[in-house]
This record gives sequence, structure tokens and C-alpha cells, in this order.
Amino acid sequence: MLETEELKKVFKGKIAVEGANLYLDKGESVGLLGPNGAGKSTTISMISTLLKPSSGDVRLYGKSVIKNPGKMRQVLGVVPQEIALYGELTAYENLKFFGRIYGLSGKDLEISIQRVLELVGLVDRQKEIVKTYSGGMKRRVNIAAAMMHEPEVIIMDEPTVGIDPQSRSHILEMVRQLNQEKGLTVLYTSHYMEEVERLCDRVYVMDHGRIIASGTKEELKSILSSEETVWMELDRPYPEFFKELQSFDGIRQAAEIGKGINFIVPKGSRVLGNLFQAAERHRAQIVNVTVQTPTLEDVFLHLTGRKLRD
Amino acid sequence: MGAFLKKDVLVLLRDRTEVAVLLGMPFILIAILGFALGGLIGGDTEVLKMQVAIVQEDDEKQGIEQFAAALNNSGMSAEQETALLAVAKETSPSTLLRGILADGNLGELVTTEEMEATAAEEALKDEKVVAILTLPENFTLDALRNMLLGIGTGSELQLTISDYAATQSDVFRNILDEFAWSLSFESTVSRMAAEEGKVYGAPNFEVGGIEAVSAANPINSMQYYTIGMAVMFSLFVAGTIGSKAFVERQQFVFDRILLSDRNPLVYLGSKAITAAAITFCQLAILFVFSSLIFQTFDLTNLKLWPGIALIAAVFAICVGTLASLLTALTIRLNNETVNSVFSGSLVILFAFLGGSFMPTEGMPVFIREVGDWTPNGAALTAFLIWLQEMEIKPLWGMLNRVLATSALLLLLSLLLFPRKGAA
Repeated sequence: MLETEELKKVFKGKIAVEGANLYLDKGESVGLLGPNGAGKSTTISMISTLLKPSSGDVRLYGKSVIKNPGKMRQVLGVVPQEIALYGELTAYENLKFFGRIYGLSGKDLEISIQRVLELVGLVDRQKEIVKTYSGGMKRRVNIAAAMMHEPEVIIMDEPTVGIDPQSRSHILEMVRQLNQEKGLTVLYTSHYMEEVERLCDRVYVMDHGRIIASGTKEELKSILSSEETVWMELDRPYPEFFKELQSFDGIRQAAEIGKGINFIVPKGSRVLGNLFQAAERHRAQIVNVTVQTPTLEDVFLHLTGRKLRD
Repeated sequence: MGAFLKKDVLVLLRDRTEVAVLLGMPFILIAILGFALGGLIGGDTEVLKMQVAIVQEDDEKQGIEQFAAALNNSGMSAEQETALLAVAKETSPSTLLRGILADGNLGELVTTEEMEATAAEEALKDEKVVAILTLPENFTLDALRNMLLGIGTGSELQLTISDYAATQSDVFRNILDEFAWSLSFESTVSRMAAEEGKVYGAPNFEVGGIEAVSAANPINSMQYYTIGMAVMFSLFVAGTIGSKAFVERQQFVFDRILLSDRNPLVYLGSKAITAAAITFCQLAILFVFSSLIFQTFDLTNLKLWPGIALIAAVFAICVGTLASLLTALTIRLNNETVNSVFSGSLVILFAFLGGSFMPTEGMPVFIREVGDWTPNGAALTAFLIWLQEMEIKPLWGMLNRVLATSALLLLLSLLLFPRKGAA
């Protein structure tokens, strides 16, 4: 349904995105992962016709949208990371304005407003001024505004940033419903790996402007199928112990996180025994050790060398 | 377009700070400037009326007789003596001064009363007079000897002024200064003429600083500052609309509008129309409320309001195009500097040049010309012309300037606005 071909964007000689190839099938939910500055937002802006690519193409049903962005805009809803609403207006007034600029009027407009308000669970509070809403409620109206014209594709750029768990859960469930029950095609970016794991069928990983991996969640995890992730929690940080641990054969991607250390070892490795001995030499008190199969987060770390929220 | 207009008006009306700046501030300034600077505006001459005490210590008749005796002893020819004595009788400073204060325009402003010195001091203390003018002993003789014979240092008028009516006192002192200068000049001419055997008539003095703007209806300070502040604060509407456009850009609402596939020029046009509509309403509110509170304009005068509405409409169009230019620059540059500079500096400069703070009559011609080319200055002048002459024809010069400026601003905004804004 939607695909990009060798998408490239250069800002003042600096390459922001290069050779981005991705596709979305109708009704699919696709995650786009990447640390800050990876080029996700630039890619999204080019797909949504807000930014003209330096080269490459975006195609909707096989037809380029670069020369004719109107076709794309008719079927596309975009939920930006920012609260793109008028804080001085009520939710109802915001939705009415955005509905009207999409050409809705009269009864159709009223029906659309109530439909999206029901979707985001704000029917009872539609007449309140948006700037008085909680962060979660604002995010829900932000999504509702993108849904006014019943788009076929929705691009969501970090739609749950900075909100309470209840609103976050509501939004995730709503996106799941839209995708699985209403057949909406979703391109979802998030810093929260568990959101992508929960919502997306396939994932693209971006770093330094390039797509460095893609596939289903299982396909990506299989990159690290022969390895295990170890989380070792200590009573306090031990820099010397951490330094020695990094020199052990078989330990990769060691990272100090708070009082603990996270690292990857080959499956069935006997390195843990040596590790306990080293801890004793450094008088490091081990509080807890967890060995688990790699998560998408670990895959991300493996691919980019960075944590997703770095 | 209707959706944009409604949204922009709602967003502005719910911003209490902006509403206070656009409507509240002008009222406060109208009140302050209208009352405080009332004396400087032509239509408020009533408040300049002043009562002055004259203390006459000079004996004019005796002074002229003594001057005649001095002529006898001067060794002049009989013909010259006769000529100078005739001039002396006609130009006796004491008589001239009283005559000037009593006649013509000054007579409407200055009321004099001859008093004894102590009574005059009491009157000044009791704020019954604003100044005491003392004609000292031998004033006539000393003045004539100096003026016509070039002997001695002359005589000085003594002026005691009050603190409580500084403006009136200053005006009266200026009148006397100008009188003294004119008297000295005319007398020198007379003396030189007499020495050549010619006799001129009594000098024809034009004393005082009253400038009649025209013979038509005078403008009072409340009217002046209601218009001055209204046109100044209307410029802030353009700045406010530009700032709101920046917020829309920053918060990605502008992107959302682009994604609706509406022509971006509709957005730009809506900014111009919104600004024009708000400006017209702002002017209407300020004029009507100023009339209700300060009795600025006669609300029942049906001939007055069509002209005011016409000028307000033309000026509102200009503010609309100014808002569209600021919006175009804001969207193009993606920063708010242009609005900050406009609202923080240019509006004040335009207001100064355009005469919003004080009439530009006293300023250099160049500044007045530049001021009349600012939209607010041209509109202010148009309003004043209308109030004074109540005819449409004399307005067109200024209105055409405003319309020409509007066309230029609109053209610039169309050229600068990023039409595509995206792919």
C-alpha cells in the first residue's frame, strides 16, 4: 500500500536520512525504532508529504506522492509528537476546526466529532478548554484530531510521551483496536520498546539516518538467538569490577545501569562462574542475577550500540 | 475561510493578556494622555485661559513728558525730535502691552486686572491669578530712551509666576518674551527711520504662540488621543496575529493544516482577514467606549460616523495586510524575531512618527512627511481631517496612501510566504 524507495534527505550538506526503504501493507502495524537523531521524524515528515525528499520516492498504491501530495493527504492521518492543538479552544472546538478544514460540515462533521471523542474516551469532557486537560487527555485529543477524516493510514510519532500509565494504556488499546478491528494501517514510533512489541507486526530499526534492520519481532530477536542477556544487580556501583568484567572473553555490550550491569553472553556460556569469582575479589555484593532470552531492546542495543532512550 | 476566521477570533479572545493589551491599555493611555496633555491640543484652549494681575508702578504720561524733555537736550534737529516724539507716543510700551493683552486672540486667553502689589501677591497666593506682571517705576521713560535713543539699559518687566498652573504661566512668559523681542525689533526700525527723517506708524505686533489648525472644528485632547492610541494599538493586532502564527508553526498545528491539503494561501488570507476584522472591531470599541466614558465623540451625530467607519475600514485592511506580511515572514523564517521587533520597536517608532503621542505640527517637515506615510499616521491624519471638515473629498489623499501601503504589504507577503510549505 505504502512504500518508500531510497529516500534521502540532506540538510545543508548534512545527510539526515539515506537510502530509507520501507513498506507498509494494508492493515499492517509497523514500528519504526531508533534513538534520538536517528532520522525517524525526518522519514515520517517525508512520508507524510510535509518535507520534500532530496532524492528517492514515496509511493501510495504504486503512485508517487511527491508530485501529487494531495492523494496521500486524503488517506493519511498524522499524530505528531507535539500537542498540535489550540490550547485556548475546547476539544470540541479543536475537532470542529480540523474537521472543517478537511471539508466536513453539518451533520457529517458532528458525527465525526462524536465518533472520535468516543474513540479517545472524552465525550464527557469535550467542552473543556484543552490547556486545562492533563497530558494524557491532550494526547488523546491529539490522536482524535488526526482521525477526523477517517484516514486509511495513520502515522504516530511517539504518541505516549510524558503521560500517565492509565492514559498510555488507553492509547495503546485504542491503537490496537484501530489496527486489528478497523483495519487501519499504522506506522508507530516510540521510545518504549514494550509498546512496539505489543502493537507492531513488523519493525524497522533506524540509526544514523539508515535503516539497519527490519523484520518481524521474532526475526529481529533471532539475531541474538544464540545469546542470553544477563542482568547483575549489585549493592552499589563497582567501577573496577565493571572494568575487569568488560575484559572477560564472551561478554559483549556490557553497560552499567544504576547499581547494576547488563551484558550479553553466548548461550550456555560458563563465564558466570568466573564472574562470581571476580565479584568476590572486588568484594562486590551481588544482590540479584537474571538470565533471560534477548528482548527487542537487546537487539536494538546490539544493532546500534545505544540504548533506545539514550 | 470561515473556519479559520472563527478559530483565530476565539483563540485571541480567550487570551486575556492580549485582550487587555489591545483594548485595556489604549483606554488607560487615552485617559492619561487626554487629561494630562490636554493643554497642548488646539481644541483645548479653554483650559489655557488665564487671569493675570498687572501692577502699575509706572506713570506713563510722566514718562513721555520726561522723554520729550530728554529729546530737547539731545541736540537733534527739530524735525527729528518731532518725529521721535510722535513715535514715542504711539509706541509707548505700556500702552502697547495693555492693548495686546486685551485684543484679538490673546484677549480670549488672558484676562488682566490692575491691582496694588500686595493685593496681587494675595491673589497669586490664593490661585486667583497665574502671574503678576509688574511695570516698574520709570518703565516708560527708560524703555523709550533705550528703544528710540539707544541710551541706558532700558527697563525690565517683572513677572512673578505661580507653581500651580505651570502651563499657563509658561505660555504667558512666552507671550511676554515675544512681545519684548518684537518691540525691540520694531523700535529699532522706527529709530533708524526717524533718524532718516521718516516716520512709521505704530508697530503691528503678532504676539503669541497660538496656531489655528484650521478654521474648522477644533480637535480636543480626548479626540486626539482616542484616535492616536486606537491607531497605535491596532498595529499590535498585526504583531499578535504574527505571534499566533509562530505558535501554530512551533506546535505543528500549521503542519496539521497543511496535511488537510488546503491551499496555504487560504491560511495566509485568513490571517489578513482576521486581523482586519479584529482591527475594525477594536477601533469601533475604542471609539464608542471613549465616547461613552469621556464624551469624546457625539454618538448621536449621524453625519460623523460614516466617515469614521470608512477610515477605520481602510486602515483595518492595511493592518490585515501587515499581519499577513508578519505571518509570511514568521512561517518562512520559523522564528518570532520579526514579531518581537515589530511589536517591541517598530510600533513605537511608527506611533511616534505618526503622531500618536503628540501632534507632529512642531516637528521637522521631513519627520511629518514620513509620519504621514506610516499607515497609522496617515489614518490619524485622515481621522483629524474628517473631524474638522466633515467632508469625504479631502480624505482621499491619506486614504489612498493607506491603500497603496496595503497593496505593497500584500504583494510582499504573497512573495515571501512559502506557498508549498511541503512536498
